[in-house]
Amino acid sequence: MSANAQPVTPVTLDTKAPPALLRADGVSIQFGGLKALTDFHLSIQQGDLLGLIGPNGAGKSTAFNVLTGVYQPSQGQVLVRDTKVNGRKPHQINLLGVARTFQNIRLFRALTALDNVKVACRAQTALHQSRLGLGAKLVNAGHNYADWWKALLLTPSFQREERRLTAQAEHLLEVMGLSHRRDEEARNLPYGEQRRLEIARALGSQPRVLLLDEPAAGMNTREKADLMVLIRKLRDDFKLGVLVIEHDMKLVMGICEQITVLDHGETIARGAPAEVRSDRKVIEAYLGDSYLESHGGAA
Amino acid sequence: MQSPALPVPEAPSLVPPALRGILPLLIAIPTLALFHWSLTGSDFATYLLSVVGVNIILAVSLNIVNGMTGQFSIGHAGFMAVGAYIAGYTSLQLKEVALSFLPVSASDQVLFMLALLVGGVAAALCGFLVGLPSLRLRGDYLAIVTLGFGEIIRVFVQNTDAFGRALGLSGIPQYSSPGMVFFWVFLVVLAARRLAGSSHGRSLWAIREDEVAAEAMGVDTTGYKVRAFVFSSFFAGIAGGLFAHFVPIINPGSFTFVRSMEIVVMVVLGGLGSTTGAVVAAIFLTLLPEGMRSLFGALGTEGSLAQRVDQIRMPIYGLLLVVLMLSRPQGLFGTKELWDVLPRWLPRKRRGLA
Ligand SMILES: Nc1ncnc2c1ncn2[C@@H]1O[C@H](COP(=O)(O)OP(=O)(O)O)[C@@H](O)[C@H]1O
Ligand SMILES: [Mg+2]
Repeated sequence: MSANAQPVTPVTLDTKAPPALLRADGVSIQFGGLKALTDFHLSIQQGDLLGLIGPNGAGKSTAFNVLTGVYQPSQGQVLVRDTKVNGRKPHQINLLGVARTFQNIRLFRALTALDNVKVACRAQTALHQSRLGLGAKLVNAGHNYADWWKALLLTPSFQREERRLTAQAEHLLEVMGLSHRRDEEARNLPYGEQRRLEIARALGSQPRVLLLDEPAAGMNTREKADLMVLIRKLRDDFKLGVLVIEHDMKLVMGICEQITVLDHGETIARGAPAEVRSDRKVIEAYLGDSYLESHGGAA
Repeated sequence: MQSPALPVPEAPSLVPPALRGILPLLIAIPTLALFHWSLTGSDFATYLLSVVGVNIILAVSLNIVNGMTGQFSIGHAGFMAVGAYIAGYTSLQLKEVALSFLPVSASDQVLFMLALLVGGVAAALCGFLVGLPSLRLRGDYLAIVTLGFGEIIRVFVQNTDAFGRALGLSGIPQYSSPGMVFFWVFLVVLAARRLAGSSHGRSLWAIREDEVAAEAMGVDTTGYKVRAFVFSSFFAGIAGGLFAHFVPIINPGSFTFVRSMEIVVMVVLGGLGSTTGAVVAAIFLTLLPEGMRSLFGALGTEGSLAQRVDQIRMPIYGLLLVVLMLSRPQGLFGTKELWDVLPRWLPRKRRGLA
């Protein structure tokens, strides 16, 4: 791909290990003159629980957007199990097993909690191949239209499929403790439950990698702690690799095994919580303006 | 792959699954036949019923794009025109043909159905060609492109000899009947409701609610939007085909931008996303001008006001739309259906889309 001017700082790359579920290789992106992300590296394996932290505006959400295909990187590449996914659309990347939540909750507000999850469950059953020739594309399109006919004719196989989706979605609501909200519109749920519903929806797409963008934002300390326990449980039960963005440093320190710290789009530190905590650059970044702003205290 | 394979629960319905698909048809066809045979009203009543039916088909089909999917098409009359001209032309070509193994009237109806389907498929094809490039982009491109499409079709027809230029196409066999129109009304309503309650419909709702989130959850938003648009165009084409077979002449003047706006007003009035709302609004807005016409006729202002109804219709629609936007921006029913807004003591469906 395009020659990378900056020296590549490799992530712990063990050639014998299975390919990373999701990997960023020297990814950079600019908005106008603003370098929102510079030479970003990341590698997620199954069972990982990684943290991505940094002050406000550091480029954390931008990193998510690049990893999930919302933005195209101006440099570097994103790989899902060694398949390059630059240029793929977000739904294609999702179908390869990467699901996410959003920092500012983006539920389907007028749909019920159950339907929110079912949307994601459904997408996974669609026949999908990412790189197709024209012939295969036509077959795929034909299949999609045929699928609509099944819905219109209410064929027995279609009805069975709907019941399967309902059962799957109900199960996920239960996992996230939302069964009692099944038929309620998403917009009527309390804030904390909306956040959990977003996670349930992401799980509906049967991901291998789960990207959570500030899942604990707006929660109190107790709720945050509970959520972190839940996230760890999800990782184990669903055999996921998880990447959590969290603005609050203390929180991720507790549960993440490896933490990447961003500041002004640059990776300023990476390592175990203890290492990161004592890193001089990290302390500086966090004791900078944004730290004072968000914590309201004098340094 | 990770979540455990859950057992698929049995269907909780009394009706066997194999029958559920066609049950409404089994009920509707005899009912419609009865309706058809008992209808011995005046020509005017027949005509009015047919117009109401065609408008319902147009409104319900447009609602799939503008309501359920949250896109904004303002060229529905263009797709109607494609259906009308192609179906009308097909019928004209097949005028002398008769299927020998059928009685004449049955043969005519079979040929009529064929012409309708040809018109519908042609409109659907146009929908695909218009939709694919414009629905890839977010925003108001669809509105601009559909507006342009409607006008292009009109100008094209005006300059094509086979379609009778500005004079229009006349002599199309008058195969249509309220029975046939309402058969298609039934089909489009059934299709729209089934779509809305299916996983495909849910994906469309999801696109309407939040396109970015829908993409992120694996919904091929462009594909779904195009399919919804093709689907909607097909029924607009059918409506056009029906229309062509009960009016004495079709000309470009029947498919103007004003016609498209009428349909948009119906959908907005009914509530973007509500199928039954579109039905109610289509009936109301079709009968309203007729009502005004008779009212002014009865007031004895024959020849002046009564004839001006068509001229003052659009300003009244405009006014209606403004009042609606101010007092009830979600339309009559919002995204709900008739049975959701009925009085509380009536039995209701469980909340949710299905
Ligand atoms: N679509 C965009 N257009 C322009 N600037 C953007 C865009 N998205 C993010 N940015 C900028 O990129 C920087 C990083 O933002 P973001 O990734 O949201 O930070 P955070 O670490 O708080 O999640 C910010 O300065 C933000 O203003
Ligand atoms: Mg952010």
